[in-house]
Amino acid sequence: MSPKLKKSLIYWIVLSPLVVVILFPFAVMFATAVRPPDEVFVFPPRWGFSEFRWENFSEMWVKTNFGEALLNSVYVSVASTGLALVLSIPAAYALSRYRFPGKSAYRNFLLMTQMMSPIVLVLGLFRLMVALGMVNSLNSLVVTYAAFNMAFTIWMLQSYFSTIPRDLEEAAWMDGATHFKSLVRIFLPLAVPALAVTGIFSFINSWNEFVLALTLIRSSDDYTLPVQIYAQVAGRFQVEWHHVMAATVLATLPVAIVFSWLQKYLIRGMALGAVK
Amino acid sequence: MASVEILNVKKTYGNLEVIHGVDIEIQDQEFVVLVGPSGCGKSTLLRMIAGLETISGGEIVIGGAVVNDVPPRDRDIAMVFQNYALYPHMSVFDNMGFSLKLRKSLKSEIEKKVTEAAEILNLKPYLQRTPGQLSGGQRQRVAMGRALVRNAQVFLFDEPLSNLDAKLRVVMRTEIKALHQRLKTTSIYVTHDQIEAMTMADRIVVMNAGRVEQVGSPLDLYDHPANLFVAGFLGSPSMNFIEGRFKRAADAAHVVSDDGSSLPVSADLSAKDGQRVIYGVRPEHLKLALDGEGVEAVVEVVEPTGANIEVFAHLAGKRICAVFSDRHPFRPGDKIRLTVDTSKINLFDAATKVRI
Repeated sequence: MSPKLKKSLIYWIVLSPLVVVILFPFAVMFATAVRPPDEVFVFPPRWGFSEFRWENFSEMWVKTNFGEALLNSVYVSVASTGLALVLSIPAAYALSRYRFPGKSAYRNFLLMTQMMSPIVLVLGLFRLMVALGMVNSLNSLVVTYAAFNMAFTIWMLQSYFSTIPRDLEEAAWMDGATHFKSLVRIFLPLAVPALAVTGIFSFINSWNEFVLALTLIRSSDDYTLPVQIYAQVAGRFQVEWHHVMAATVLATLPVAIVFSWLQKYLIRGMALGAVK
Repeated sequence: MASVEILNVKKTYGNLEVIHGVDIEIQDQEFVVLVGPSGCGKSTLLRMIAGLETISGGEIVIGGAVVNDVPPRDRDIAMVFQNYALYPHMSVFDNMGFSLKLRKSLKSEIEKKVTEAAEILNLKPYLQRTPGQLSGGQRQRVAMGRALVRNAQVFLFDEPLSNLDAKLRVVMRTEIKALHQRLKTTSIYVTHDQIEAMTMADRIVVMNAGRVEQVGSPLDLYDHPANLFVAGFLGSPSMNFIEGRFKRAADAAHVVSDDGSSLPVSADLSAKDGQRVIYGVRPEHLKLALDGEGVEAVVEVVEPTGANIEVFAHLAGKRICAVFSDRHPFRPGDKIRLTVDTSKINLFDAATKVRI
C-alpha cells in the first residue's frame, strides 16, 4: 500500500463517524419515502423493504397539493432574493465607495440584526403585517425575507465590492460614462460572482424558512413547502410518514443540487470577500 | 486639443493642505511632465485636472473654460492609469471602443477608429482577446489605445510605465514620445522617475511637498536648477553636494569645506565672503587632474555600468561620485586628483537652499 493511499484511508476512517451522522437523516428520509406504507413501522426496524415504491411520490404530489406549495416557495424565494439584491447593491456600493458619518455604526447595526432570532420578532411582524393588510399574502413573506436577508447580503456584497479597483470606474467616467452607466456596464458585471453567492444564500434561507411562513400565512393555498409538509404531520390522527418523507426529499433536492453545483463559486466568493 | 491652466490650485483633506496653491500654464500641443518624489502631490494634481478629485481652491481652465465643476465625463480628457484599469470582462476591441459606444458613435466608425488605433499600437492581432490574456506591455498599449481613439483635448498619464520591466519601459517611453510628436495632443504626464521626465518632456514641472519647485525645459532645469531640491532630484547619479564657507580673495574665489579643503569656484558669483554655501557639482563634470592640481580624493567603490564607470570617492570629508567614460583602472584605496570647470559649478545658499 502506498503511503498516499494509507494516508487518505486513515483520513476517511477518522471522518467516517461524521459522515454517518450527517447522512443518517437523509438515509432515513429516502428509505422511508420509497417503501410501501405498511412497512414504515415495523419492529425491529430495518433498512430493507419489499418494494421500491415510486408511486409514493405521485400520490403525495396530488394528496398534499405539493405543486402549489412548490410554486409558492419558488415565488417567495426568487422574489425575496431579487428584492434583497436590488436593495443591497446600492447600500453595499455606498459602504464600499463613500465615506459618510455613521458608516461604521451602520455596519455594526447590520451585524447586530443578525444576532436576533426571527422568533423574537414574529409577533411584532405579524402585527405590522396586519396593520399593512398583508397577512395571508405571499408578498408579506417576500418583504420580510428580503429584510432579514439584507443585512447578510449587504455585508457580503460590500466586502466583495471593495476588492473591485476604483480605477475601473474612474476609467469609465473618463471614457464618458455617467455614474449609473459605469455601475451597470463596468461594476456590476465584475460583481457577478458575489451577486451569485449572496443570491444563493438568500435563496436557501428563504426556501427553508418556517416560523414566519407559519405565522403570516393562514390559508393552506398559500403555504410554502416547509409549512405544507409540516401540515401533513401536525394535528392529524394518522401521519402518512411515507408521504411526508417523499415531500421532504422533493423539497430538499433542488436546494442540494444547486448548492453542490455552486459550492466552488461559493467558497471562492467568500474567500474573495474576506481575503485581500 | 487645448491649453491647460492651473491657477493657484489647492487641495485640502480636512485641515490638512496637501497642495499649496500651484500655478502651471500648459500650452496647446505641449508635453509636460510633473515629476517629484512620492507624496509630493503630483498624482493628486493630475486627478484634479481629470475631475476625479475635487478642487479645494483655485481654478483649472481647459481650452479657455473653467472646469472646476465639470464632471470628468464632460471634460473631454483621456487618461492612462498606472495599473491600466482595463475592463477585465471586455475584449481589447470593446475596451478601446467603449468611449465611442457611450457617445453612440456608428458601429462602422467605432470599428474604423479602433482598427486605426490598433494599427498604430501594433495591437491588431489581439483585438478579440481579453486583458487577462495579454502581457504587461500589451495591456499598457491597450490603455494607450483607449485614450487614442477618442481624439480627446488632453491626454493625462499617471505613471503609466511604472509597472513595466526596465527594458520595456525604455521602449514604451520612446513610443509615447513618438506618438505625441505625431498626434500633438496636449499631454500631462506624471512620474517619479526623473529619467522619464528628462527624456520625454517639452517642459518639466518639479514638485515637492505640494509646491512647484521649478518649471522649465529638461536641460534648462538640469543645467540651472533653481534650488537644492531640483539640483538633487534631477540627474542620475545625482549631484554631489559639499557644504562649506565662501571665501573671496583678490580675483579668485573658493569654497572652504568643513574639513578645510579648498574648492575653487568662479569669482563672478555674487556670494558674500564668509557666507555658508553648498557647493554642487555633477558627477560627469569632475575630471582627472594632473599631479599637483585639483583636489585629492580617495577611491572607495568603483561601479562600471558599461558605458561609463562610476567612481565613489572620499573628497573634502564627503563621499562624492564621479563618472568617467574612459576606462580608468581605479582600485579602492587609490588616491586620485579631481578638478572641475568652475563654470559648471552650482552654488546654493546653505540657509535658503536657493541657487546663488
